[in-house]
Amino acid sequence: MIRFLHSSDLHLGKRFGNLAEDLRGRLREARHGAIARLAEQARANGAEVVLLAGDTFDTETPAPDIRRQAIAEMAHHAPLRFVILPGNHDSLQAAPLWAALRTGLPDNVILATEAAPLALAPGVVLLPAPCTTRRPGRDLSEWMDAVATPEGAIRIGLAHGPVQSFSEDTVASDILAPDRARRAGLDYLALGDWHGAVAIDARTHYSGTPEPDRFKHDRPGQALLVGIEAAGAAPAVKPVETGLFGWRTEPLHLLATDDCGAALAALLPQPRLRRQTLLRVAASGRAGIAGRTALAAAVEAAAPDFALLELDETALSTEYDASDLDRIDRTGALRDAADMLMAQAGDDSRAEADRAVARAALVRLFSYCAAASS
Amino acid sequence: MKITALRLFNVKRFAGRGVAIEDIGDGVNVLCAANEFGKSTSFEALHALFFQAHTGQPKDVKRLQPYSGGNPVIEADIETEAGRYRLAKQFIGGKRATVTDIGSGRLVAQADEAENFIAGLTRGGTAGPAGLLWVRQGITGIEDRDRREEEDERRVRASLLESVQGEVEAVTGGRRMAEVSARCAEELGRLVTASGRPKAGGPYEIALAEQKRLAAEVARLEADVDALRKDLDERAAAAKHLKELDDPDERAARRQALERAQTALDAARAHGEALKSAQAELSHARSRRDATRRELDAFRGALATSVQLGGRIAAAEQARDTALARHRAATDAIARAEAEAQAAETEEKQARDLLARLDAALKARDRAERVAALATTLETVETLRTEREAAEAALAPIAVPAKSVERLQALEVEIAALAALASAREPKLAIVYDAGAAARVRLDGIALGDGEERGLADPARLDIPGIGTVTLRTSRPAGDDAALRKAVAERDALLAKLGAADLSEVRQREAAAQRAKAEIVRLAARIEALAPQGLPALREEIARLAAAASPELEIKGDPDAARLGAEHASQRVGAARLALREAQPSRGLAEDALRKAETALAALQGERAQVEASLGPADGRAERERALAEDARLAAESFAEAEAKAAQLRDAAPDLASAEAAVKRLRSAEETSSRQIGDLRERIAGLDGTIRARADEAVEEQWRETREALDAANGRVAAFEAEVALLDRLQATLQAARSAARDLYLKPVMMELRPLLALLFDDLTITFDEKTLLPHKIMRGGAEEDVERLSGGTREQLSVLTRLAFARLLARDGRPAPVILDDALVYSDDDRIEKMFDALHRQSADQQIIVFSCRQRAFARLGGRALRMIDWRPES
Repeated sequence: MIRFLHSSDLHLGKRFGNLAEDLRGRLREARHGAIARLAEQARANGAEVVLLAGDTFDTETPAPDIRRQAIAEMAHHAPLRFVILPGNHDSLQAAPLWAALRTGLPDNVILATEAAPLALAPGVVLLPAPCTTRRPGRDLSEWMDAVATPEGAIRIGLAHGPVQSFSEDTVASDILAPDRARRAGLDYLALGDWHGAVAIDARTHYSGTPEPDRFKHDRPGQALLVGIEAAGAAPAVKPVETGLFGWRTEPLHLLATDDCGAALAALLPQPRLRRQTLLRVAASGRAGIAGRTALAAAVEAAAPDFALLELDETALSTEYDASDLDRIDRTGALRDAADMLMAQAGDDSRAEADRAVARAALVRLFSYCAAASS
Repeated sequence: MKITALRLFNVKRFAGRGVAIEDIGDGVNVLCAANEFGKSTSFEALHALFFQAHTGQPKDVKRLQPYSGGNPVIEADIETEAGRYRLAKQFIGGKRATVTDIGSGRLVAQADEAENFIAGLTRGGTAGPAGLLWVRQGITGIEDRDRREEEDERRVRASLLESVQGEVEAVTGGRRMAEVSARCAEELGRLVTASGRPKAGGPYEIALAEQKRLAAEVARLEADVDALRKDLDERAAAAKHLKELDDPDERAARRQALERAQTALDAARAHGEALKSAQAELSHARSRRDATRRELDAFRGALATSVQLGGRIAAAEQARDTALARHRAATDAIARAEAEAQAAETEEKQARDLLARLDAALKARDRAERVAALATTLETVETLRTEREAAEAALAPIAVPAKSVERLQALEVEIAALAALASAREPKLAIVYDAGAAARVRLDGIALGDGEERGLADPARLDIPGIGTVTLRTSRPAGDDAALRKAVAERDALLAKLGAADLSEVRQREAAAQRAKAEIVRLAARIEALAPQGLPALREEIARLAAAASPELEIKGDPDAARLGAEHASQRVGAARLALREAQPSRGLAEDALRKAETALAALQGERAQVEASLGPADGRAERERALAEDARLAAESFAEAEAKAAQLRDAAPDLASAEAAVKRLRSAEETSSRQIGDLRERIAGLDGTIRARADEAVEEQWRETREALDAANGRVAAFEAEVALLDRLQATLQAARSAARDLYLKPVMMELRPLLALLFDDLTITFDEKTLLPHKIMRGGAEEDVERLSGGTREQLSVLTRLAFARLLARDGRPAPVILDDALVYSDDDRIEKMFDALHRQSADQQIIVFSCRQRAFARLGGRALRMIDWRPES
C-alpha cells in the first residue's frame, strides 16, 4: 500500500516576459508557491511522497535563488519526501545543476538521476527514467521492461516525455511507448511533460502542471493523488486542485443581433475570482459595427478586474447594415467615405489584408463619428 | 441690384464741394480718370456707404473726412426688384442714414433700419444675399483687406453656392467631417510623421525601438544560451570520456595489454639475437667453404700452370740461343768494319803528312825569290829618288811665279800702248834724200833712212853729215810721259827681281820650269808604282821576308802524286766508316732481341719457381690435392647446414618492429590517457566555472523572458502597423470624400468660370479653397501651383474672373449684383486687359459692371458707357 502525489512541470523560474511587469512577478511567485500547495495537498490526503515527473525547473541552469529556495521549501515539508526527476528542460545534460542540487540536499528530497530501481518504501520500487539530454532521441523508459524487482513489490515508473507527438516541445523520436506500464509490469507510470492532466490508460497518467502557465490547456492547476493497494491492484487516481491562477479561454459566439456587452458579462467569472484569472475571450460569429465597438469597450471596461483579460476578435466577422452607416452620416462626404471603405471591405478583388484594413478603418470611422456627434 | 448714381459731398479732397456720377447703366460702365481726380475717392465713398455704419467712426470713416474737417455725405441710387431707392449717409457729424423710395420720395427707413436695409442688400438677409462684388486695386492677397468685408464677400459666395447646391455642411460633412478628420490626423500624427515614418518619441517609434532592443537582446542572450548549452554538452561529453578513461577495468585492460605487448617484444628480441648468431655462423661457414674451394682450385690451377710453364720455358731458351747467335755475328761484323776503318784512317794520315811537307817546301822557295825581287825594286827606287831630287834642285832657280809673268806681260802691253801714244804726240822728222845723196843725217846718232819718220826728243840733236850738228828744242811741257816711265820702272824692277833681261827670257825660263816639273812628276809616279807604301815599308818587307826564310828543305816526291794518294786514302776511310755504320744497327737489334729473350725466359723461370714452390715437392702433390678436396667438401656441407638453420630462424622470426610499435603505442596510449584525464578534469572545472557564472546570471531564464517580451513587442508593433494602415486608409478616404464633395459643391461656379478662363488662358483649371471659396490652386501644363505664387497679373485676372463667375451665378439665381472694379488690373498688360474686356463684355449682357481706372489709354478701348463726374451739392 502506498499513497503518493504525482505532479510535474513546475517550471520554477519561468518569467512570463510577454506579460505586464507586476503580473509577471505574481505568476513567478505562484510557481514557487506550487511546492507548498502540493505539500499541503499531500499532507491533507495522506500521501507520503511527491513524485515530480520532470521539468521541475524551467531551465538547465536555474538561477541559484530559484534552485535554493525551491529546495528549502521542500526541506521545510519534511518528512514528506519529494522525488525530482530530470525532464527535458532540466535534463542530466545540465550536470552542474544536479551536482549543485546534490550538495546539501535535504534528506527528504530524492534526485532520481539514474535509471536504476529506487526503493520508495518497503515493497515499493520506483523505476525512474531521467532525461539524459534535452532530446534523448530514444525511449528512456525501455529499461523498465527488463529490470527485476522483489516478488510482490509495487513497481512505479517515473518518466518525462511525450507518448505521441503532442509534446510541449514537439520532437518526433523521443516518444515513450504508450503501453510501457503494461510491458514493464508497472502498477503505475507517472508521466510529465504535458501541462494538462491526461490519462493514457488506467495505469498511465500525465499529471499536468500544478500551476498552469499558458492558455493552451484551459484547465485548472492540479496534481494526481494516487493510491496503490498492492502490486497488480488498479491504482486509485484522484485529481486535487493546486493552481493559484486560472488560465482560461472563453469562447464567445455572437450573432449580429446579440447584445455584445451582455453576452460578455454572462461569460465573466464572479468578480473576486477575476484577480487570479487570466482570461482570453475568443469572439466568433458576427457582430455589427456598433456591436463590435460595444464589445471592445466592454472588454476594456472589465479588464482592470482581471490579472489579464484579452479579446481575440480574429474569428469575429463584422456585419454592416444601413443603420450603422446612417449613424455615421446619412449623406455628405462622411457618408461617402464610409461607403468607399465599405466597398473596399467587400471588394473581393482586393487582398484580404487590404480588405481587413478597410474594415478596421470603417469601424474606426464609426467610433470617431459616434464621439463627434455626441 | 443695380447702382444708377453715386453722389458725394465733403469727402476727402472734395472739401466743401461735391461730385456726382449719374446715369450709371447696365453693362460696363467706366469711370476713367487720371490720378487725384477723385476716382478712388468715389470708390471709397461708395464702399463706405454700403459697408460702414453711419454711427461709427472707425479709421476708414475718419479717412473720408477732408483735412479741413466737415461731415462727409454720400448717397447712391439703386434699383432692385423691389423698386428704386436712394441710400444716403452722413458720417462723423450730423450722423444720419436714410433710404428713400425714389419713385414716391417716401422715406423708407432711417438710422438703424436704414443700415439693416443696406446690409440686407450686401449680405443677404433672410431671403438670401443680394450683394455686391468688389475687386479693389491690386487684390492680390498681399495687402490686408478688411476682414469683415472679406467675410461678407465670402458669405455672399457661400450663400450663393448653398442656394444653388445645398447646405455646405451637408455636402462636405462640415464640422463633423472636420472633427473626424482632425481626430484621424491627430491619432495618425501621434504615430507617424507626415512622410509616414514612425514619429520620434511617439508610441509606435517606442514600440519599434523596444522591438529592436529586444531582438538584439534575444540575439545576445541566445548566443549566451547557445554557448551555455554547448558548454553543458561539452561538459557532459568530457565527463563521459573521463569516466571511460578513469574506469578501473579500462585501466587494467590497458595495463594488461601493455604487459602482453612487452612480453611479445622481449620474445621477439630474444629470437632476434638467436637469428643474429645463426647468421654469424652461416657467414663463417660460407667464408670457410669459399676459402677451401678457392684453395683447391688454386692448387689445381698451379699444377696445370706448372706443366704449361715447362713448355714455354723450353721455347724461350731456344729463342734466347737464336738471339745470342745473331748478336755474336753482328758483333763480329762490326769489329771487322772498325779494323778496316782504322787501317784506312792511318793510311790517309800518312798521305796527308807527306802532302803537307811538300807544300811547306814550295812556300819557302817562293819567299826567297820574292826577297830578291824586292831588293831590285829598292835599288831602282833609290835611283829614281836621286834623279827626282836632282830634278827638283834644278827646278828651283828657274821657277817663275805665274803671277809675275802675267804682270810682266800686262806691263809690256801697257808700255807699248803708252809709248805708241807718246810717239804719236812727239814731233816727227823725216828726210827724203835726194837721189844721189849718200850722206845720211843722223838723229841722236842714229841714221835716218829715206822717208823715215822719226820722233824728236827735246832736245834732239841732229847730225847732218856735211853740214854740222843741229840741236832742236821743242820746249814741250815735262811730265807727260810719267805713266810710261812708271810702267817701265815697274817692268824693269820685275825683270831685275827675276834676273831676266826681258820678257822672252822670262818666257823661256817659264817653259824650262814646266819641263822640269813634268820630269819630277814622272819620277814620283814611278817611285809610287814600285813602292806604293814608300821605301821604309819596302825595306821592312824585305827585312821580314828575309827573317822568315827557313832553311832550305829537301823535297822528295811529287806533290800531285801525294795529293792523289791522300784522296784515295780518304775515300777508303769513308767506305770503311759507312760499312761500320751499316753494321751497328744490326747489333742493336740483336741486343734487344737477346735481352727480350733473356727476360722472357727469366720471367717464366721465376713463375715456374713460384708454382713449384706452392706445389711443394712433386711426390707429395697428389696426396695434397686429395686433402684439399676433402676439406672443401666438408666446408660446403657445414655451410648448407648453417644456412638451413638460419633460414628456419628467419622464417620463424616475429615482427620486432610491430612488437615495438605495439608497446610504444600502448605506452603512449597510457600516457595520453593520463594526460587526457588531467586535461578533462581541468576542462570540466573550467566549464563548471563558466556554466555557473551563466547560471548565476540566469541567462536561460532571461532568454526565455526576453523572447516572450519580444513576441509581445512584435505584437505591439504589428498592432501599430495595423493602426497606421487603418488610419492612413481612413485619412485617405476622408480626404478623397472631402475633395469629391468640394468639387461637387463648387461645380456651379466652376461651370461659370470655365468659359471665362478659356478666354484668357489655355489649359488652366482651378481648385477652390473650401473656406474662402476662392481659387487657391491652379493646374497648368500638368503642374499644380499655388495661386499665391502666381504673378500679380495672373492673380488679379483670376480674381476678377472669379468674381465675374460668381456675379453671373448670382444673376442666374435671379439676384444680379454689380461688380465693381477699382483699378483691378494694374498688373495686367494691355493684351490681357483687352481679353479681360472681352470677358467683361461677355458678362455685361445681364450684369452691371462699374470700372474705376486711371489707365485712360488702355481703357479707352474698353468701350462701354463712359461715366463723368459733375459737381453736386446735397439738396438740404
